[in-house]
Amino acid sequence: MPEQKHIAILGAGPGGYVAAIRAAQLGASVTVVERQALGGVCLNWGCIPSKTLLSIIELGDKLKKAESLGLMLSGLPQYDMPRMVARKNKVVAGLVKGIATLFKAWNIETVEGRGTLIDSRTIAVEGPDGVGRDVTADAVILATGSSWPQLAQFPVDGKQILTSKEALDLETAPARMVILGAGVEGCECATYFSGLGTAVTLVELQSKVLPLEDEDVSALMARELKKRGVEVKTGTTIRKVDRVVDDLSLSMADETTVEADVLLVSIGRGFNSQGIGLDRVGVALGRRGEVLVNERMETNVAGIYAIGDLVGQAMLAHVASAQGKVAVENILGHPAHIDYRVIPAGIFTLPEIGRVGLTERQARDQAEAAGQNPDQAVKVGRFRYAGIGKAQAVGDVTGIFKIVTDAETGKILGTHIVGAHAADLIHEAALAMQVGATASQVAGMIHAHPTLAEGFMEACEDVEGVAIHQAGRK
Amino acid sequence: MIPADLRYHKEHEWVRLSGKQATVGISHFAQDALGDIVFLDLPKVGTSVKTGQQIGEVESTKTTSTIYTPVSGTIVQINADLKDQPEVVNADPYGKGWIVVIDLADPKEVDELMTAAQYDAFLASQKKG
Repeated sequence: MPEQKHIAILGAGPGGYVAAIRAAQLGASVTVVERQALGGVCLNWGCIPSKTLLSIIELGDKLKKAESLGLMLSGLPQYDMPRMVARKNKVVAGLVKGIATLFKAWNIETVEGRGTLIDSRTIAVEGPDGVGRDVTADAVILATGSSWPQLAQFPVDGKQILTSKEALDLETAPARMVILGAGVEGCECATYFSGLGTAVTLVELQSKVLPLEDEDVSALMARELKKRGVEVKTGTTIRKVDRVVDDLSLSMADETTVEADVLLVSIGRGFNSQGIGLDRVGVALGRRGEVLVNERMETNVAGIYAIGDLVGQAMLAHVASAQGKVAVENILGHPAHIDYRVIPAGIFTLPEIGRVGLTERQARDQAEAAGQNPDQAVKVGRFRYAGIGKAQAVGDVTGIFKIVTDAETGKILGTHIVGAHAADLIHEAALAMQVGATASQVAGMIHAHPTLAEGFMEACEDVEGVAIHQAGRK
Repeated sequence: MIPADLRYHKEHEWVRLSGKQATVGISHFAQDALGDIVFLDLPKVGTSVKTGQQIGEVESTKTTSTIYTPVSGTIVQINADLKDQPEVVNADPYGKGWIVVIDLADPKEVDELMTAAQYDAFLASQKKG
């Protein structure tokens, strides 16, 4: 029997902790070094906290419509933010404890403290009590993640200038908030605070909100944010921040000025690749400071792997987890490589967004680059939530399904869903893409009635212009 | 259903001229085709606009459609009531459902728009097409 391998993992976020468990399942002995909390940003300050709080806004939004649904309330719903934040902290604590329990069950050792590579097999850990300890292993996985925005022109003080980390712990809603950056986090925070009654101004340098999403999605989300009362300013940025007593005066690049109580900086995350000894052992970094890896998640130094936000590929918790599994499988003699083609992702605005694969623009650009006429090479199908019986029944009629296909093969290149439960619904499209199914194969599958998933079937039908519940558009 | 005192644009907006100012809305035909209107995205007061330019969007339970300005000038007023009551555009497209008021760059532009009779014929020709 081969000798048991020892793997040391630096960082216990969704990359590191998943890698640890998979490594233990495959028979390795594992030590995880973490300076803050098990679960990393995702669990403690990101995905889980924001979804916990946003779910309450979603409920509040619904209750505001209650009367029109025939549910009579004696007054308008009120948000109790200290209770909301306390519940959020409880949810997080429970999930962190869950990881600790799993670690115990798999005999994974956790070392608390700040770890630094001192050679390619050894992490020196400085514990919170100042006591040092070296962890030596057969292989090392770097999973230190990314850092909060620290931009010189927007010095975060946790009071007037915040990151989402502080914002999700606020126990009173600011009267006026400016959010810089209309990416995923910026739009989610705009949804949250507008729900609480804050007057939100959302500033984005690119010409549209959610600039990486499909154009239809960005346009729909801009409208939905405006419906929530969010002032959307695109194509501009904040040039200067002046503090006037308790107010912030923000000078914009378009020569306008916006007054606010709080500025939330939602641009410019950095990579946690400094101060962990990478220069000492010669781990190569990219231009942005990310750790360079191949598809086996190997760095340029034999025995050192890197995963998650640190490698700057698709900075998503579930991608980090997938990368972590690939890294340990390679370390333990089960060759694996990461495949980024099908990455479903959710954006938890109201309404929610689910996306996978190419946007229509990307698909058209790809066709053009291949010398094809994009009008002929790419076929799109759409279906609106309003046409779905279930959506009408539950009163969630805002939203679209959009599917982008390769006209020649019929294969699905991408799918974009905006509307209730979009981030869950997107997985049917992701599975179809993973197995190479065509839109007509999906359209031919019986979908249960009444469900929102029927919308995906209809969008697949609409690629050929034969959606049943849509008046002839083509 | 096509008021005789207004002028019409091929994208189904109407214009009511009053001195140097024009009130703009969407036609009965447009609101009927859209169905139940749930939201209007309106331009900002002070925006200068050119004929044919997109000035907003109207969303219904069926679709989302662009609002074009039939005339050039500066937006001097928007119908803020539509924010909370977009359905007014369905109920009274030529009255309370007006959308913006534009300070005209050139009032003569209005003469180039369709008369009620021309718009009626235009709609009839569209139906056939």
